[in-house]
Amino acid sequence: MIGLFLAAMRFQAQVVRREPDYLMSLVTIPLLTVAFLAIMGNAGRADLAPYAVVGAALMTIWATALFVSGELIDADRWEGTLEGVLAAPAPYQVAYLGRIATVTVISFLGLVESALIAWLVFGVTFPVPHAGLLVLTLACTAFSMVGTASIMAPLFVLARSARIFQNSLSYPFYLLGGTVVPVVLLPEWLRPVSKAIFLSWASDLLRDCLRAEEPVAAPARLGVIVGLGVLGFGIGHLLTRAVFKRVRENGSVGFA
Amino acid sequence: MRNTARVLRYAFASAMADLRATYTWKSWGLAWLLRMLFQVTLFAFIGKLIGDPRVVEYLVIGNSVFITADVVMLVCASTSWERMSGTLPLLVASPAAPFTVFTGRSAQWLLDGLACSTISLLVLPPFLGVQLPLGTRLAVVPLIAVIAVSVYFFGLVLGGLALRAMAARNLIGRVGSIGLMLLTGVQVPVSFWPTPLESLAQLLPLTHGLGAVRAALGNGSASDVLRGIALEVVVGVGWALVAAFTYWRLTASGRRDGTIEFGG
Repeated sequence: MIGLFLAAMRFQAQVVRREPDYLMSLVTIPLLTVAFLAIMGNAGRADLAPYAVVGAALMTIWATALFVSGELIDADRWEGTLEGVLAAPAPYQVAYLGRIATVTVISFLGLVESALIAWLVFGVTFPVPHAGLLVLTLACTAFSMVGTASIMAPLFVLARSARIFQNSLSYPFYLLGGTVVPVVLLPEWLRPVSKAIFLSWASDLLRDCLRAEEPVAAPARLGVIVGLGVLGFGIGHLLTRAVFKRVRENGSVGFA
Repeated sequence: MRNTARVLRYAFASAMADLRATYTWKSWGLAWLLRMLFQVTLFAFIGKLIGDPRVVEYLVIGNSVFITADVVMLVCASTSWERMSGTLPLLVASPAAPFTVFTGRSAQWLLDGLACSTISLLVLPPFLGVQLPLGTRLAVVPLIAVIAVSVYFFGLVLGGLALRAMAARNLIGRVGSIGLMLLTGVQVPVSFWPTPLESLAQLLPLTHGLGAVRAALGNGSASDVLRGIALEVVVGVGWALVAAFTYWRLTASGRRDGTIEFGG
């Protein structure tokens, strides 16, 4: 099982290397760091720079999951390899999770890019007083992102216009996930929705890691991030099984 | 002239067929439009994070107008679809100028973008605590239409580049769009940037038109509005000429070196 997972990870790394279009979010979204910092700098609020960097990084991670992990199954369907994946004795879900894991790990380059852009364009740097917790939060965020992306991949197979849904799930989640703007600033009636999205917990904790004060209830908040990730894995597992059962039954495994 | 109009009409019909194939009313309204409104809202909330209502207003207006440009820049991708579907050689072989065909072929984004911006300007300001008279918000729609056309020709130029570098077609469009967002006064006044970038912004579409929209929605005089929109038209005509040259060069050099045939 672990061998399959690692082989799938390696395979996806090769696919990404040969298809630079997969990395488009990594090129374009960190550029939004410039927009965020310009708005904050122009308003005399350079102190908000960590919001810009964390926000652009999380947006990159989410967008990469949407546009790359989200269409893994559909891409296999288009290329005619899904039949082979389903017919093979290896559990396909492990293979897809390995591939999603690679995409997620690569997407974290967005954080490095955003920080570099902030430094190179505006000379902005900031200390990381809670580096250990930051690394732990990033790891939990990655785990949760893989879990959530495992929902997207089968979902987009069901959607008639997957591309529209992919595009449409970007900004609503950037806002509701509190990527740049903390959820506490959103209208009260929207906050329960935000609390169900792991991004909102991850973004809050990541920003807290960049403050001098000790983050409050960090273990519990990490637990929520991981818990929402586990929920994602569960839903993703059930959805993938249901979608594959459906395409097998109606003979559309290789038809998109 | 009559033939050119006929070619434009058919190209526009093809554009509308593309739009109908891409969206249903439901998927456009519940998915695409909603996503665009969230884009404007996200930036407006950055203004709320900053804590200055004037910044919120600046961002709501800038981003509501920008989403027209963002949608219209899809012209870059849809232009390159012609090479992907193998129809480029037929276009080059036909007596019509490819520029005429490409000008009509992606016009669906003009309607899409204008609709998104108009709805954003009509719906969002009250929700975001921005006081703008409804009549004035409606009055700027024609100005946004001018901006859309001006950005469209800029996008056509980038689409011409994308036809030569197919692997980067999506990237070219996205970087072009983000470039407009950064430099043309959408998020911060153009004077925020260093002088060379500020000068560059004067040559880009959206800069002057957005200035006119801001003047119309704010306390600008009628002459400010007219001057801004006139400059937007001039910039748009300039990009239309560059686009015409780009497609002429693409055809001429493609015929010479044989890269028309799915040459990417």
